[in-house]
Amino acid sequence: MQTKDYSASHFSEMSQINAHNVQHLQPVWSFSTGILNGHEGGPLVIDGIMYVHTPYPNNIFAIDLDNPEKILWEHKPKQNPAARAVACCDVVNRGLAYAPASADYPATIFQNQLDGHVVALNAKTGELLWKMENSDISMGSTLTMAPFVAKDLVLVGSAGAELGVRGYTTAYSIKDGKQVWRVYATGPDADLKLAKDFNSHNPHYGQFGLGLKTWEGDAWKIGGGTNWGWYAFDPDLDMLYYGSGNPAPWNETMRPGDNKWTMTIWGRDINTGEAKFGYQKTPHDEWDYAGVNYMGLSEQLVDGKMTKLLTHPDRNGLVYTMNRENGDLVNAFKIDDTVNWVKKVDLKTGLPIRDPEFSTHMDHEAKGICPSAMGYHNQGIESYDPNKKLFFMGTNHICMDWEPFMLPYRAGQFFVGATLNMYPGPKGTLGQVKAMNSVTGKFEWEIKEKFAVWGGTTATAGDLVFYGTLDGQIKALDSRNGKELWKFKLPSGVIGHPITFGHKGKQYVAIYYGVGGWPGVGLVFDLQDPTAGLGAVGAFKELAHYTQQGGGVMVFALGY
Amino acid sequence: MLGQALCLPFGYLGATTRDCPLQRHHIFKPVLLRINMHIKKFLITTLCLGMSLTISQAMAEANKPLKVCAAENEMPYSNKAGEGFENKLANLVGTALGRKVVYVTWTDPRYYIRDTLDKGLCDIAIGVDKGDPRVLTTQPYYRSGYVFITRKTDDLDLKNWDSEALRKVQRIAFVPDTPPEVMIRAIGRYNDMFNYSQELVGFKSKRNEYVKYETSKLVSEVSSGHAEVAALWGPSAARYVKASTTPLLMTVIPDDNVRADGQKVGSHYSTSMGVRKNDPTLLAQLNKVIEDSRDEITKLLEEEGVPLLPETDTSKKS
Repeated sequence: MQTKDYSASHFSEMSQINAHNVQHLQPVWSFSTGILNGHEGGPLVIDGIMYVHTPYPNNIFAIDLDNPEKILWEHKPKQNPAARAVACCDVVNRGLAYAPASADYPATIFQNQLDGHVVALNAKTGELLWKMENSDISMGSTLTMAPFVAKDLVLVGSAGAELGVRGYTTAYSIKDGKQVWRVYATGPDADLKLAKDFNSHNPHYGQFGLGLKTWEGDAWKIGGGTNWGWYAFDPDLDMLYYGSGNPAPWNETMRPGDNKWTMTIWGRDINTGEAKFGYQKTPHDEWDYAGVNYMGLSEQLVDGKMTKLLTHPDRNGLVYTMNRENGDLVNAFKIDDTVNWVKKVDLKTGLPIRDPEFSTHMDHEAKGICPSAMGYHNQGIESYDPNKKLFFMGTNHICMDWEPFMLPYRAGQFFVGATLNMYPGPKGTLGQVKAMNSVTGKFEWEIKEKFAVWGGTTATAGDLVFYGTLDGQIKALDSRNGKELWKFKLPSGVIGHPITFGHKGKQYVAIYYGVGGWPGVGLVFDLQDPTAGLGAVGAFKELAHYTQQGGGVMVFALGY
Repeated sequence: MLGQALCLPFGYLGATTRDCPLQRHHIFKPVLLRINMHIKKFLITTLCLGMSLTISQAMAEANKPLKVCAAENEMPYSNKAGEGFENKLANLVGTALGRKVVYVTWTDPRYYIRDTLDKGLCDIAIGVDKGDPRVLTTQPYYRSGYVFITRKTDDLDLKNWDSEALRKVQRIAFVPDTPPEVMIRAIGRYNDMFNYSQELVGFKSKRNEYVKYETSKLVSEVSSGHAEVAALWGPSAARYVKASTTPLLMTVIPDDNVRADGQKVGSHYSTSMGVRKNDPTLLAQLNKVIEDSRDEITKLLEEEGVPLLPETDTSKKS
């Protein structure tokens, strides 16, 4: 799985490569995918085979680690090219998932295609086992997320909130792709699939009827709340965790109310999909702080008691740590002290205390909103070192001006919209890497990065944190103090995450290069207008001086 | 009109006198002397050309091309090939003034007044709402309305926004942020039309960019049977309705709609020509052209198929 394990720890116990010898890492082999769009996610390595995926057209290559010179099998799906036009921010794909063989099915690789199909392939041969339509591109719905596998289910979300897609999450049977359950983010309680005791531990989060009542009329039908991010699973509790995204339409004046349950952290029974708890982080979002980010599970002491926790760095610049058994909010703190739309979260009510100066109302020109619509944290997968009790976060440090416009044309027609300008935050650079205690909110160390750290981190027991940068470096930091120990310049910028794996007694590190995605949208489509890509083009205009498009995987090992 | 003062608020063009487009023209030398005098007089607040045009100067102006702000591709109004009905109107005006028409084209209708007319790149916008506060508007040269477009064979009983048929049809095509959007919300069809509305433009988000709804496409949605109704500004749809091989019906929507809060939602609008606020001379010339060429203009619009409505009394003068 992209998250490495159910807890999404992205942590490896391997320490053959460690803080003492990491400077001897050198490339051992590489593989070009032949695709130039942004490469998000990371390769999978299982039983001596590396599975490499690409952005649209969503090709897959299986490479035998004993003989990486030759492609073992490949899958090149035929897709409706219309999907390319529908995808908002480059045609990325966040990776594959794997299910080991069972009595009912062989070892299987799962892939979500941009055109909305979920496919299951035989992991050994690449043979197509089944294919299901999850999202209809003719309805504006694409698939960019990685599937998530737990028990005998493969879980798939949805995208396209801005286009009127009402967010849903679906569980398919691994065996045959049959739908087991589907739940929505807005609408009647039956569609949301709320358990009888939903939020009984935290009734102040809201309980029943709110998927309708917090919307005007039937606006919930086009209310968004899609989920294209990362999931986590607790096998002891049999619970699944993920976040629903931003409400729609984007213009907040058109959707008065809290817009539940968009922007919500969900805890659901994996077998039925029933929601045990739901916590809305940003009621009535005004900034596009889609709440689909990383969900990291850990067990840590809270008030002297070992507690099952869920930690979520949100686009809105806050890090939420919850008790994942009952949804209690343990802590909510700013990922950076420059977050300004919110003063703090009232832990008793769970509500953010907003600063109206940074609101995006139609009659208000807001300058210097931090974070920008990209969030201080976006789609990166983070890592958790259980020995140090630290999360390692790659962040964005980008703020924005939001200038609403309403310009007359003719015959009573107006053009309504907003011009977004994005630029580096108050600390001067576009990114940071931070080591964080998710219970106390204390940061052990932090370093600056010139560009956003978009893809996330991987930590190891060798006291290391690996990550890639948009300008095309793979770096290793000492996870004890943030000191940079090693780096290597890749052929193109990185928007995915590194992995580490062992093969025949030797530890390797691998990473995709291939700049693109939202931060690289200017490079991919050769855009010049700084406000294009919702302002990303302006924020990342320097990037073209550092890297260009490319696509592939590079593998490293110790060179002695 | 001749002999009227031409006043340029200083800084309005974001420019110094060096950038003044008039200055480069040798025939304005006498005027420039006055500019200098006036700058001394008014310093930096206002740049006023106390411009008494002599007959010879007026004739010199007549030899200058008429610079028309027109869309590069905003059919059926105008395009680069000059195929829009506003291209035809511009040519008519040029002929009447005895001036050659030169098009200065724009691509983004959101900013064309600011970025072309106001900057002095061109001098006239052919179609603006009467009383558009950004410009000086001429007396209106036609009045038209929003229309329902349906297939004749469907025989929908469609008179106004209260008509039952609008609640039953599968799809209604419309352009966002027009009065029909307000009414589609009012009759409770906005949310179930939202996705269809996005589909019409290939799911391009209009939040941060100009996304064009091609009225030709919206009309063909009805002729092809994909949508039962299109609610569009009549002039923007007229030629496509006329050209449709499937017989289509245009029903002018009555101008009696109000929002829930009682505020009027306009369905009928008068169209004027627009000039820069500092250009009353051209305004007066255009008013005269409109007065003198009324029959020709009407004929041109009738050929286009534009549903024409009588001017209301208050809209006669601008």
